[in-house]
Amino acid sequence: MARKKRKSDMPPAELPMTPMIDVVFQLLIYFIVTIKPVDVFAHLDVSRPQAEKTQPQTAVPPKLIRINVFPDGFAINETPVTLEKLDGLLEKLAQLDTTQTILIMCAATSPHEKLIQVLDLCARSRLTNLSVVSTN
Amino acid sequence: MRRREDEPGMNMTPMIDVVFQLIIFFVITADLQNKDLDFAFRLAMAPHGTPVEKVNPLTININVDEKGTVTIGRVPLTAAQLTAILRASVAQYGQRIPIVIRGDRMSRHESVRAIMDACTTAGLWRIKFAAYKEEAR
Repeated sequence: MARKKRKSDMPPAELPMTPMIDVVFQLLIYFIVTIKPVDVFAHLDVSRPQAEKTQPQTAVPPKLIRINVFPDGFAINETPVTLEKLDGLLEKLAQLDTTQTILIMCAATSPHEKLIQVLDLCARSRLTNLSVVSTN
Repeated sequence: MRRREDEPGMNMTPMIDVVFQLIIFFVITADLQNKDLDFAFRLAMAPHGTPVEKVNPLTININVDEKGTVTIGRVPLTAAQLTAILRASVAQYGQRIPIVIRGDRMSRHESVRAIMDACTTAGLWRIKFAAYKEEAR
């Protein structure tokens, strides 16, 4: 009954925008102040040899590409290279065959970052067949 | 006749209130799943790595800090404890559990290797390394 009475008394009121805008601004300010930029993560896939010693330690087939990671640098098939040079070589390699098996041999004392750098270069060249082996 | 007249005067306020509540809820919960990841160590940069799109809920995140301390969910573990945990997970969920190793960029490879060895002895083979594709700081 009250509703009908109000309706007849005054014209249909417009929705008051001012309080809503106030609240929206409050929210906006709150979120701008509290926002923290998030890190974007990447996951680098590797395959590992079995830990069991059942598989014989055969000589590495000649077609295998071996990348060594040392605490102070990198080597590809026993030739010392810089990171930039390694990048160029992997890119050329990827043009021939992206399913080429790459054995990454990482020295135990090298920082994890170096291994990630190599894996990143492989990901960049779209090489997919990566194995990580630890050496002492 | 009267009912049609009522419609234009429909009260929007409660609806807007609810919509705002929903917006706030979703904004706050949007990155809750990363909240347990962002503590004080710095992963290595991998600007060309594959971005993380979907995370398997079974994924086990194993962290290594620069001193070589291995943690899962901020609980430091010995090598034996880690192997026991991984074995227990394998017993329950099988060997297809993805493992994400989150190593500090300055951690030595041998501590990462210890984790990989623990994974392989438990029979887990889906191992990935986490890295920053972009770093926020």
